[in-house]
Amino acid sequence: MSPDGTAGKPVPQVQLTIDGVAVSVPQGTTIFDAARVNGIPIPTLCHQQNENPIGVCRVCVVEAGPKFAASCIRQAEQGMVVKTNTESVVGVRKTLVELLMSDHPSPCARQQHSGDCELERMAEQAGVKQPRFPQKVTPRGKDESSIAIAVDHEACILCERCIRGCDDIRHNMVLARRGKGYQAGIAFDNNLPMGSSSCVSCGECMVSCPTGALTNRAVVGTKLTGQAVPPEALLGLPIFKNVSGTFLELNSHAVVERRFRAGDIICREGDFGATAFYIVEGKVDVYLSSPIAHVKTQDSGQGFLSKLKSLLAPRAHDRRTEEVDRPFIPIDASVDLPYDNPIAELGPGELFGEMTCMSYYPRSATVRAKTDCTMLEMLRNVLDIMQRNKNFREQLDRTYRKRALDSHLRSVPVLASLTPEFINHLREHVELVRFAPGQVICRQGEPGDSFYLVRLGFVKVSEHRPGGDMVLAYLARGGYFGEIALLGGIARTATCTALDHVEVVRIPGEDFQLMLDKFPAIRQKLEAAAAERIEANRQRAMQVANVPVEQFLNQGLMEAQSLLILDLERCTRCDQCVRACADAHDGVSRLIREGLRFDKYLVATSCRQCRDPLCMVGCPVGSIRRRNSLEVIIEDWCIGCSQCANNCPYGNINMHPFPVEQDDPTYPGRRIASVKVKATSCDLCLDHEEPSCVYACPHDAAHRVNPPEFFAGLLKQRSSGMKG
Amino acid sequence: MFDELRAIQREFGYLPADQLQALSGKINVPLSQIHAVASFYPHFHLTPPPKVDCRVCADMTCHLRGGDQLKSGLEAAFRGDQQSLSIRDVSCLGRCDEAPAVMINDVIYSHVSGPQAVSMVQDALAGKPLPEALHHKPRVPVAMDPYNGTGEYAVVRRFLETQNWQDIIAALKASGLRGMGGAGFKTGLKWEIVRNAPGTAKYIVCNADESEPGTIKDRFIMENVPHLVIEGMIMAGLVTGAKEGILYIRHEYEYPKEVLQEELDRCYQHCLLGKNILGSGVAFDLKIFVSPGGYICGEESALLEAIEGKRAEPRNKPPFPGTNGLWNQPTVINNVETFCLATVILARGVDWYKAQGKGGSLGSKFVGISGDVNRPGIFEVPMGISYQELIFQHAGGIIDGKKLLGFAPSGPSSGYLPASMTNLPLDWDAVAKVGSMVGSGAIVVCAEGRCMLDMALNSVRFFRNESCGKCVPCRMGSQKMVEMLKGWTEGRAGEHDLQLLKELSDAMRLSSICGLGQVVPVPIVSVLTHFREVVDDHVLRRRCPAGVCFSESARRA
Repeated sequence: MSPDGTAGKPVPQVQLTIDGVAVSVPQGTTIFDAARVNGIPIPTLCHQQNENPIGVCRVCVVEAGPKFAASCIRQAEQGMVVKTNTESVVGVRKTLVELLMSDHPSPCARQQHSGDCELERMAEQAGVKQPRFPQKVTPRGKDESSIAIAVDHEACILCERCIRGCDDIRHNMVLARRGKGYQAGIAFDNNLPMGSSSCVSCGECMVSCPTGALTNRAVVGTKLTGQAVPPEALLGLPIFKNVSGTFLELNSHAVVERRFRAGDIICREGDFGATAFYIVEGKVDVYLSSPIAHVKTQDSGQGFLSKLKSLLAPRAHDRRTEEVDRPFIPIDASVDLPYDNPIAELGPGELFGEMTCMSYYPRSATVRAKTDCTMLEMLRNVLDIMQRNKNFREQLDRTYRKRALDSHLRSVPVLASLTPEFINHLREHVELVRFAPGQVICRQGEPGDSFYLVRLGFVKVSEHRPGGDMVLAYLARGGYFGEIALLGGIARTATCTALDHVEVVRIPGEDFQLMLDKFPAIRQKLEAAAAERIEANRQRAMQVANVPVEQFLNQGLMEAQSLLILDLERCTRCDQCVRACADAHDGVSRLIREGLRFDKYLVATSCRQCRDPLCMVGCPVGSIRRRNSLEVIIEDWCIGCSQCANNCPYGNINMHPFPVEQDDPTYPGRRIASVKVKATSCDLCLDHEEPSCVYACPHDAAHRVNPPEFFAGLLKQRSSGMKG
Repeated sequence: MFDELRAIQREFGYLPADQLQALSGKINVPLSQIHAVASFYPHFHLTPPPKVDCRVCADMTCHLRGGDQLKSGLEAAFRGDQQSLSIRDVSCLGRCDEAPAVMINDVIYSHVSGPQAVSMVQDALAGKPLPEALHHKPRVPVAMDPYNGTGEYAVVRRFLETQNWQDIIAALKASGLRGMGGAGFKTGLKWEIVRNAPGTAKYIVCNADESEPGTIKDRFIMENVPHLVIEGMIMAGLVTGAKEGILYIRHEYEYPKEVLQEELDRCYQHCLLGKNILGSGVAFDLKIFVSPGGYICGEESALLEAIEGKRAEPRNKPPFPGTNGLWNQPTVINNVETFCLATVILARGVDWYKAQGKGGSLGSKFVGISGDVNRPGIFEVPMGISYQELIFQHAGGIIDGKKLLGFAPSGPSSGYLPASMTNLPLDWDAVAKVGSMVGSGAIVVCAEGRCMLDMALNSVRFFRNESCGKCVPCRMGSQKMVEMLKGWTEGRAGEHDLQLLKELSDAMRLSSICGLGQVVPVPIVSVLTHFREVVDDHVLRRRCPAGVCFSESARRA
């Protein structure tokens, strides 16, 4: 616990020794996990990280004090002395493996097909050759009734991984144990053949199975272009270690080897995609080919009758309010790109396109082979199983700590002044944590114990209000949360939920406090930012409390600083306003004479400030966000993928085309003219005295107004009416 | 769920698939889970049973008293009648004092001779009514009963005046009372743990699932002094703050169940149980839960799983039931005899109880003596009495004037001790010192002429049959051990079998989840320790000095 107790309610630590090493872990940690996080692997057959431990195979036994304990399920205790590798432990483990092997149809189906039967591998490692125990006499039989999955009860070791996969993970509840003692086995429903049971062939049991008891029967699906890689070859790669070979065999179409020559473009920013790339060999450049600038509307300078002119302006030339002064641009890879020179290099062992693959977001950057490269391109199911694989996770984790933590921390402006020493300190202490779509990362009202940086995916920050939840922000990579509770020693002020496949960097409360103590400047900045966030939230809350008219709220009118309204009693629907808008904006209208109505007015504001700003979900480079006024701002590094425009239900975001020069795909190195688009929203013709639409209206139906003032009388009338 | 399953089985004779499917919808439990539970318990049939289901006890005492011959006699008499008759083994039925025992269509007959068994099966096949099983016996006076059989519940009455629970725990601690189910945990400490454990509800559970071969004392206690057991449970409830008690009884104990139910009804009539015990405002309810069967249910955490309607698979411990028991709440779970003795101690005083022991041992105890003795039965004896005295005086010595070969102090779990050790006193520490245990006091006696390797095989086979199958060492190890020992008795011992057996025993002892798996090797390890010559004869010289093994009849099962 931090000295001032501001780190919320930390979980007490327990100290124990494992193989002579003194370790400290949070209370409730199992011996298995305590050993794992301290680099001491304990073998197991029945335990998987994504399933609840049940402690049945007993292969993970260790000496815990005077007695043996199954480390996967036994919690670490204060002062416990654990030995994982004594002669006695190793002997027991070997006997257990030998017992299982004496009934195992070696080589089982999994071993034959993909060479990755966990039991057979363990037997080989333990030196169990010919089991000395009597062989099994009564056969248990096979079940080939399912078209997708082959069941060999002979190879079943009753580890219950399939049962937990079916029941706990998939909630299908088809699989359970049957019978008792040596006759026990697994059964589908009422001990039916798998093919006649209520099994939906989701395959979870099969990929959970460590042996050949559940393997695939058929290969289904379409193929990626590229060279299919045999499961044995994949299993030879460190990152595929411990992935189910049967799974790889079944999904042989879903991971392919791709070779690129130096200069080849591997993917382009803004493209749709569904795959991730893992670099086996060679180097690539990741860069943005879009100009790093935003759309600026300017008077053409021809007097009263002039048109507005849209052009591109980088932040150095056109500083906007509340623009993020970020030195890095977040992309869908382990590194961020520098704002000034948006290019980075990735090498062997690195992965890119995770968000495109998992959540189908457009590609965030262009990737070009720098040298000749070999890549594995994979579909979502493969990446998903890899993300659950310990070895792969460890490698990603290592790479992240080594390569990306630095730039990731520095890309957050308030943290930019961290010293390399402290970043090195954090390298050892941060934790990458994944969340599935819909999972709550932290909940409003709970004590805060960590600070989080978003690495991957989108986090929804919402505040519970009596009238319903209000979305405060969507945070993408580079966003951070959790500081308010830690700074103030108060409960979480908002709920943060994973919107899609999210990965966050967790900085424990103690380290966060340490950072504040060491870097007063960061504390100041964070406190200022937090104060701003709190104040903005407070004001919104007050407005909600003061304005009783739900409809008004729903339309998001209350917070706008400036609204464009059309008096429908005067409007003849002549569409002059729309034409004027188009004229003013290089032929692209940003005004649609449709929209929500309040009283006799049609409201056509620049942004609806929706309770749930859908536009902000899915920007692959995190270039759209809310200002404190809740309007959106589009940052300079917009890649023009149209995700936000497609998401906005009110059509308030437009894609504005611009001619640019870019790399010639046919002749690398040459530049050609091409058209790029940038997102932009209505700017109320800020450079004009009046918005073009207002000016153009022949019936005096269009007005630019300040909503609280304009609607004050109307609101009062309404609310008293409602009270009456 | 068990009530639903029993109702279906009563109606159809077994559990038809469509009925289970319908049940799944009715109680909103996945079919796979219902099947998992139904297929676990021997009490439930998933296929239509034969017209006559004849099951012969094959364990330890019945094995000694002719159960095998009885079964082979039946098989010979009804050869070829596969359709309407099944003749199978059954695990110990708890009639060791009247061995051998046979169960025909779920009715238990004890002291059955070969011809009697054959004629009963013939009658059953012919549809004739079978004789009523005679279990209703006059009550036997129990010397330690402070109430002479009347059930005055003076301890409860006295407690309610002061409600001073510290005194009760202090008395139990001072008495040195231990759990009589076998493990011997200190009772006072257990009650104190539950008293002090936080929980929304607490439970008192009586383990009356007496199923270990040779163990018959709980049946005797329940039949003769049910009031002492119930009073012990009420006291545990009052002391710990539990409001609900469950007496978990094996389904074969129908008569003891009737006796207990009568006593429970009487308690409710006299306000000794219920929402307001004797007007004190304190509540304690007690009900009987009939086990769906299986020795493993006697393992305390498996028993709790069974009450919760699941497969009786032992839990990983810690946590222990004292803090995380039934429905994950603090639970006192004690054996029948423990509750009985607690009442006696609280009624007669600690000093009286301690003084019952002999030679420095404290208290008295019930033991069951069975096997090759003249007067098998249940005896109430002082702790510290020698096994010599127990076997030769209480149980009337060895049958047919034979010599004693060896004995098990507590059924298969204690392993076998040689005749030379009968001087040992019935004392926890003394018996533990020689690597065995007083356990539940299930003394099984083997006369000269028995093959101790055969007895070890019989014991290990019992454990194999009763393993729940949850963890690898027990599920696989018990099966492989049976196969190995069978090999030894059939002249198929492998060269490295002794070494392998040692490795297997270590693995099972050290890594099994529960006591069952841990004690599977005990019988053979004890025979290797005390009767090594017998094993060497079999393994090295391929002969059985007793003439039991290497024969056709030994090759069965």
